[in-house]
Amino acid sequence: MILVLTHINTIFLSLSIFQPASSQADHIATLTNYFIVAAAFILLVVTGLLIYVILRFKAKPGDAEPRQVRRNKKVEAVMIGVPFLMVAGFFIYTINVMQEVHPPAGNQVPDVIVTGHQWWWEASYPGTGAVTANEIHLPVHKKVLLQFSSSDVIHDWWVPELGPKMDMMPGRKTHLWLTINEPGVYEGACSEFCGEQHAWMRIRVVAQRQDEYERWLQQKSQPAQEPQHPLALKGEAIFNLATCGNCHTIRGTAAQGQSGPDLTHFASRTEMLAGMMPTTEDNLRDWLTDPQQVKPGAHMPRFIFEQDSINALVAYISGLK
Amino acid sequence: MENRLMMFLVIGTEAIFFLSLIFAFVYFAFEPGYDNHTWQLLNIKSTGIFSVLLFASSFTFWRAEKSYKKGEVKRLKRWLFATIGLGTVFLFGQGREYWSLLHEDLTISKNNFGTSFYTLTGFHGLHVFIGLVILAIVLKLAAAGDFDEPDSSVINTVGIYWHFVDVVWLVVFTVVYVLPGVLL
Amino acid sequence: MGKLHIPEPEEALPGVELEDNQGLLQWISSVDHKQIGIMYLWMALFFMLLGGLGALLMRVQLAVPRNDLLSPEIYNQVFTMHGTTMIFLVATPAILGFSVYLSPLMIGANDMAFPRLNAFSFWIALCGGFLLYFSFLAGGAPDAGWFNYAPLNQRPYSPSPGIDYYCIGLLLAGSGTVATAVNLIVTVLKLRVPSMSLRELPVFVWMVLINSFLILAAFPSLNAALAMLLLDRQLQAHFFDIAGGGSSLLWQHLFWLFGHPEVYILILPAFGILSEVFQVFSRKPIFGYAFIVGSGMAIALLAFGVWIHHMFATGLGITVNGFFSASSLLIGIPTGVKIFSWLGTMWGGSLRFTTAMLFATAFLVEFTIGGLSGVSFAIVPIDWQLTDTYYVVAHLHYVFVGGSLFGLLAGLFYWFPKMSGKIIPEKQGKWFFWLFVIGFNMTFLIQHALGVLGMPRRVYTYPDLPNYTWMNMLSTAGAFIMGFSVLYLGFIIYKSIKSGKKAPDDPWNAYTLEWLTTSPPQLQNFKEVPPVKSFRPLRDLKQDNPNWQLQDDPWKID
Repeated sequence: MILVLTHINTIFLSLSIFQPASSQADHIATLTNYFIVAAAFILLVVTGLLIYVILRFKAKPGDAEPRQVRRNKKVEAVMIGVPFLMVAGFFIYTINVMQEVHPPAGNQVPDVIVTGHQWWWEASYPGTGAVTANEIHLPVHKKVLLQFSSSDVIHDWWVPELGPKMDMMPGRKTHLWLTINEPGVYEGACSEFCGEQHAWMRIRVVAQRQDEYERWLQQKSQPAQEPQHPLALKGEAIFNLATCGNCHTIRGTAAQGQSGPDLTHFASRTEMLAGMMPTTEDNLRDWLTDPQQVKPGAHMPRFIFEQDSINALVAYISGLK
Repeated sequence: MENRLMMFLVIGTEAIFFLSLIFAFVYFAFEPGYDNHTWQLLNIKSTGIFSVLLFASSFTFWRAEKSYKKGEVKRLKRWLFATIGLGTVFLFGQGREYWSLLHEDLTISKNNFGTSFYTLTGFHGLHVFIGLVILAIVLKLAAAGDFDEPDSSVINTVGIYWHFVDVVWLVVFTVVYVLPGVLL
Repeated sequence: MGKLHIPEPEEALPGVELEDNQGLLQWISSVDHKQIGIMYLWMALFFMLLGGLGALLMRVQLAVPRNDLLSPEIYNQVFTMHGTTMIFLVATPAILGFSVYLSPLMIGANDMAFPRLNAFSFWIALCGGFLLYFSFLAGGAPDAGWFNYAPLNQRPYSPSPGIDYYCIGLLLAGSGTVATAVNLIVTVLKLRVPSMSLRELPVFVWMVLINSFLILAAFPSLNAALAMLLLDRQLQAHFFDIAGGGSSLLWQHLFWLFGHPEVYILILPAFGILSEVFQVFSRKPIFGYAFIVGSGMAIALLAFGVWIHHMFATGLGITVNGFFSASSLLIGIPTGVKIFSWLGTMWGGSLRFTTAMLFATAFLVEFTIGGLSGVSFAIVPIDWQLTDTYYVVAHLHYVFVGGSLFGLLAGLFYWFPKMSGKIIPEKQGKWFFWLFVIGFNMTFLIQHALGVLGMPRRVYTYPDLPNYTWMNMLSTAGAFIMGFSVLYLGFIIYKSIKSGKKAPDDPWNAYTLEWLTTSPPQLQNFKEVPPVKSFRPLRDLKQDNPNWQLQDDPWKID
């Protein structure tokens, strides 16, 4: 029995709401634990009573008709009174935690603005030039404000270890507070069904110490590195020729498109296509060959490139660190 | 009695349907996309006159019912006819209003005012139309002699519906035509 | 007091001249509430097989990570149709089937108040169902989920005509449901045996009555939302299209104003069924009749004040969230009252565990699990963590299956002898019960854990994260056991109807008037009905006649 419980324990200590990594998630996890105790108590009472009733009152041959009890006021009072007290307690606790976790944003300038797109996340850092996608860096030990909106349908931010989820709606701004406890990588996913590739709209939050975070931010505010290798230079030419810049931005070049992810530092992200696969040259090559084969429904059209054009593009893009 | 209860239940559920449409209209009035300028295209005066005619049809129907209870079938038919006439004039007025608004380029896809305006008033118009069809059937039945004896609940039941349609218009007219001018 | 003669509304029964065995024609032309009720149940079973097939497809796709058996395009249609089918074309018709079949019988009436309207409601609902499925042939089924959020339901994001079919199909089915609700209320309020006061209404009929009011109040906002959506998609209106000034929240408000009461619409009649089953197989009256009925009313009223708990993660203010948190917590209380009322009914009884009673007993545990996980969504911060995850999927299946469906299955086994005149052998019923219970819990219990571990709902696949694979595989295995058990149910129903033993009129020594009729009842249910003195009129009759011959009890305790 204890073995089973420890095993269950280890399961929930991997990436879950019971492994809180932010003070907001901490509050919620504590509340959840209290709730689980209360719920388990009720479930035990019901099943316990039921098992007793089954064993004790199962019909036996020759049973006479039992006493026709219609009601019992004492039992009825307990039936309503006890749950009412429990409910009242949880209500007060709920309000408390809500105020802790999700106070209004006021006029504070957000640290990050995250915009949901079908099917990737755009993150821009106000006050700096940094714009990135899907891998969102945040500092630890600081109460950061995230502002959310969407460019198309409803998406929903959720990183279980970091606490609450929050919808991202077109034409509306929502926000979230996060105070992350420890540096690390936290995985999450879009949690509001948003169309064909809802499954591959995953989030990676990279929490860093303040100095590392600032260094990262500084580096990501820079324009893209100039390609050196001739193949990469050729790739850059093809990139501009093939109108890739209509959708993508590569800061420091003519590419200023807004509808696709910012590629300025594409190669410094560990995963591509919102968590679908690691950023490797092979994956990039597959993707450029036929996006619809790799991620059906994605809004990137298929360009018919020659094989060496693709190689050049791969060389260019994978140099954008 | 069963018919009457049935009709009360029907208008109860219909009332909630209209409340939902009104909710949408009011909701949009507080959304960023709302444009009070479009509201000013509405002609309160002429619609007000047609509204009064619709409300008058409630009165004529009430007279029809009275006549029926007294067994005056001829009068019943006359008042029914008047009711149908007034209802038809109201629909004509609504058509006229739509026509002029469309000429002002206010369509259902113009903005969220157009959307909720045409939907709300359109569904009401549909209910008036359905009421007219029912009234026409009742009139035909009356002509065929079905209501020679004053013991049928049909006329009373139809009346509940017809008065309901008028009351809905009273609310719609207030919310759509009057209140935005007062409040916004 | 002498027996009352019950008039047959003959003019309301055009089918009355037909001979008994006119085959299909008799069913299609029928306005008899019993035949219509049975047709509703067949409709539910038929669509349950379709919806279940969808469920199995989904579970096969999710059995292993990064599976590419189904394309996301197909998967999204399948899960949308699964939800829509199960809610609107399985649970709702099944509830209406029992309501329409039993309500007149239990109040001593010979038919519904408006028999033709009754038939119309059924056929229009069936039409709606077929229309919804026709979308597969017309270019694609709806693919935005059963609650079809805006603006994903708009043309630019869902260009296939599926969602248009969704609108029209559900408008038709919904209109049928509303008409049936009107019909049921008038029937219960006006056609009762004169000696039956409202305090003597069987609990099931009470729940049908409350439920019908709930339908009348809830469905119009769905119908309005569907009409608006159709206007958006067909005439470029801007209700839910953000660029044109529409609002995505408006859809959520209107939909959940319907959607949450709908949850109770699907459970209240099941509560009624269970109350009858618990009484008869405990040999005791319901514990706290007034409490059971009163809590039903409380649920119906509170149902309209809780819809925002589906929207806690949309960033509404603390005041709004707090208010709806309170109302959602409160609605747990009347539900808890019912659980304890049923335990109280069993307490001190003489319990007979027939298949019907087994389902009722299992319901108590399954529904408590579903109810408790439901309360966790009233607690806003927990909702922020767990809404839209597999934890919700688990929760809603514990409520819809563990709650509604277990109740409906209890009712099916309880009334099957009455409806068909045949007996399902208890041994087969119990096989089905255990297969279904094991399959069900195996499928869904583990999904709570998947949600806690971060798996969002409605994903067509998932990365190979720790524990995801074995948990999903276990769930898929459970789904196949469930699927097999449903096929087995179909088989035993078919076999019993075809060649089962003939059922006696009152096999369970029951309490309510439907068991006074023959099995199955004649076209004219009653020629006369004894005066009603309590909510167990048949028991009173047996008590007053010491010589009452109980027919041979095929399930007597051995």
